[in-house]
Amino acid sequence: MSQEFDIAVIGGGIMGCATALRLSEGGMRPIVLDQGDLGQGASGVNAGTLSLQIKRVKLMPYALKGHHAWEAMGEAVGFHKTGGYTLAFTEREAGLLHERQALKAGAGAPISFVSERELRAAEPMLTRKVLAASHCPEDGYANSSLTGQYYRGRLRDQGIAYRERCPVTAIDRDVGFALTTAGGPIRARRLLLAAGAWLKPVAALLGVDLPVRARINTVSVTERMPPLTASVIGHATGLLTMKQKPNGTVLVGGGWQGRGTPQAGRGQVSADSVMPNLALAQYALPALARARVLRSWTGFEANVPDFYPLAGALPGVEDAFVLGCVRGGYTIGPYIGGLMGDFILGREPELPLFDPARDFNEDTI
Amino acid sequence: MIRLVRDQSAQIKRASEVRFTFDGAQVPAHSGESLLAALIRSGHLHLRDAPEDGAARGGFCCMGLCQECVVRIEGQVVESCRAMVTSGLAVTSLKART
Amino acid sequence: MTEHVDIAVIGAGPAGANAALAASRHGLSVTLLDEQSKPGGQVWRARSAAILDAPSTPESAAGGALRQRLQNSAVARLGDTRVWQIERTEDGWVLHLLRQGRVEQRRARALVIATGAREFVQPVPGWTTPGVLGLAGATALFKQDLTLPGQRTVVSGTGPLVFFVAAEIRRLGGEVAGVITPNGRGDWLRALPAMLSRPDLLLRGARWVADLMLAGVPIHWRHAVSTVAGDGRVAAVGFRPLDADWSPVGAERGIAADSLCLGNGLIPAVEAAELAGVALEHRPELGGWLPRRGADGETEVPGLFLCGDGAGIRGAAAAEIDGRLTGLRAAQHLGAETASERAALRPRYARAARFGMAMTALSMPRKGLAELTTPDTIVCRCESLTGGVIAAEIAAGAGSTNAVKSGLRAGMGACGGKFCQTAVARMIAAAEDRAEAEVPPPTARPPLRPVPVSALAGEFDYSDLPIPKPAPL
Repeated sequence: MSQEFDIAVIGGGIMGCATALRLSEGGMRPIVLDQGDLGQGASGVNAGTLSLQIKRVKLMPYALKGHHAWEAMGEAVGFHKTGGYTLAFTEREAGLLHERQALKAGAGAPISFVSERELRAAEPMLTRKVLAASHCPEDGYANSSLTGQYYRGRLRDQGIAYRERCPVTAIDRDVGFALTTAGGPIRARRLLLAAGAWLKPVAALLGVDLPVRARINTVSVTERMPPLTASVIGHATGLLTMKQKPNGTVLVGGGWQGRGTPQAGRGQVSADSVMPNLALAQYALPALARARVLRSWTGFEANVPDFYPLAGALPGVEDAFVLGCVRGGYTIGPYIGGLMGDFILGREPELPLFDPARDFNEDTI
Repeated sequence: MIRLVRDQSAQIKRASEVRFTFDGAQVPAHSGESLLAALIRSGHLHLRDAPEDGAARGGFCCMGLCQECVVRIEGQVVESCRAMVTSGLAVTSLKART
Repeated sequence: MTEHVDIAVIGAGPAGANAALAASRHGLSVTLLDEQSKPGGQVWRARSAAILDAPSTPESAAGGALRQRLQNSAVARLGDTRVWQIERTEDGWVLHLLRQGRVEQRRARALVIATGAREFVQPVPGWTTPGVLGLAGATALFKQDLTLPGQRTVVSGTGPLVFFVAAEIRRLGGEVAGVITPNGRGDWLRALPAMLSRPDLLLRGARWVADLMLAGVPIHWRHAVSTVAGDGRVAAVGFRPLDADWSPVGAERGIAADSLCLGNGLIPAVEAAELAGVALEHRPELGGWLPRRGADGETEVPGLFLCGDGAGIRGAAAAEIDGRLTGLRAAQHLGAETASERAALRPRYARAARFGMAMTALSMPRKGLAELTTPDTIVCRCESLTGGVIAAEIAAGAGSTNAVKSGLRAGMGACGGKFCQTAVARMIAAAEDRAEAEVPPPTARPPLRPVPVSALAGEFDYSDLPIPKPAPL
């Protein structure tokens, strides 16, 4: 017996789940399918940084809304608004930081530059080698490990069907869509592809070629340490994000690349990335030297060539939609999922979506 | 009483005794043995407090895996089952109240 | 600069050391790495430098002989060396090491992983009390430091190890307050045919049991430790009778003691093999989740070979021969002709493995033992997570060890899940009525052992930082 739904959402990360929640509120009956567990892709393995200082200028309105969404989710997702500092150690970095943060401030992020004295008062354990630092009081973090638990609870509370460890292996056009899955056949009137770094193989099941690529970002975590830093710490080049969790562990990221492909399963950590990443963290926060690293892992961050989201109708397939490749997707995901839901419900989204049929090599956004 | 497994403890010769400190207390030990062994022999079983519930913990797996026996030496957390005793070593516990 | 050898072997126990020796005899350059300072593994762990003299035991003699053979060989030994990451390259392997507070690399054309086993301990109330040691853990204390866990010790667990530990306590001058074993006498009788291939070991075991009986030490067959009492240290150990499935039945009794050695069989240490790219399979008769391997230790990953208890719990005698076979197979991969030598070894390996697997069968916990873990029992020691909390997470839909790990941090603590993941997986399987084979352990992550940031950072020069193209604005 195949089950019939108004829409099947392929991919149970933040974007798929957030869209399903909005669709359900709007009266549709969705089902969320994930090849693994909910929220265990990029949604669950990223460093959890919620920083306006590293968001793209044109995505700033979405990021600001995203911040509010995380704040509203609060304790259940480990949200903490700590404020964040972005550090420059060289003249070149300071120049870069001033230039970029001015544009981001102009786009609505409350970013300012702080003096050496202010920085030292706020973060006394940081190195004295900081040449310039910007600050954003809105910055903070959430605990990405809790994504799956959180959305599983939300879906259950709202009576939304979901299947975990249920990869979709074939999609046939019928009246709507007929999905072949590990958990049996599923029929749906509409389809949303929200499979993150796995969008390309999933879209290929419909004969659509999406130009989705993936970066393989590395994150590491230390054992519990005494208080070392109270803010989210970033670096002008983007090579470092660092935060100390309430339990004392220090989470270090910065987009250092691991190895592997989404198709081949989880990526692998490259020691040649972990070592300079931690070296930079120790450079910024010397007391980190004595912490032991307990775990490093990677996550796939999907993108398209113009680094703007795919959010709208799937080109060439009626009643099919796609959402993904959002730079800063952890921050923006809960919000843009809602916009996507509105779009599928036939409502006007609060902010415009990003047409997946655009020319990715032109400046169209 | 007949013993099929003889008590051989008297035949064990250990290196001369040295001392190290654990949270300030003098601990007799033998140079080159594991910190954990010396601590257990002198009755120091409670080496740390579990961070979440504060309960007492001590050596468990004795092979460098479980991390229950960790102590602090010169600011660095080390596994006491894998650290060697040297004379005069200053070892502190990871207890909440010390 | 990184050194490049033909074969690197991780783990210098009976399997790894023999693999290294066998490959080295074929003229290949071999480096043998181990986190202990001297070869021998857990089973033949060497005495510390603090022991100037002590009576020989079968374990110290076997370990001594192995160390002597290595000494006389061309095998390069790297002791006190922890492998924290394993990476495959186009022409072989890079091992990332932690030695003396620094990281370094070693390159090898082929890799043998012989990382052995760790023990499974079914969580019971109070098992986190100081003075409770793992059963295998206690043997490390005996072999290396000739030190007892306390003055008066309860010894509890499955298989032959429980009697070895009790005998060692008596040999080292301690008092055994009682032996508690889930196995019944009938289990041992049934294992007898397989044990007859090793009359020496059979006799040794019989001596241990007879000695305990002569000394009036109570042996509680078909019982298990159900509670540990004591504030800050062990004061008493509670135990209950078990039924045929090892479910606790009947009332608890107690024994006063200041220490407890507790273990329920061994689990292959598979994380290194996982990082090297091998898929796992579930083989309960060999200890649970194992890296998949073929004949003579070969795997589907080119240039990667596995041997010893880390590839299935078969015991030290089988591990020695398995190591030789695997070392020879690795040598063949690099051009040596070893096929006939291996063919001659295989029957011996099969015999030794039969004995070892009979011991594994005695040691593996049966389903009912999990009932000893009450809702208030700490299951994840690192994060102090109780059975009740984990059961609630599973009931809320967390259907994999990865999901429980993410939601609760069971497996994110300092031990990396080594002492909770098996119990958690069994809880999921039981709660959802799925086979254990459907609930694999959580994804293995490096580092294999904790690594200080200072070691990873090394001699960092800021100007070496590769500054990327700025992210799109």
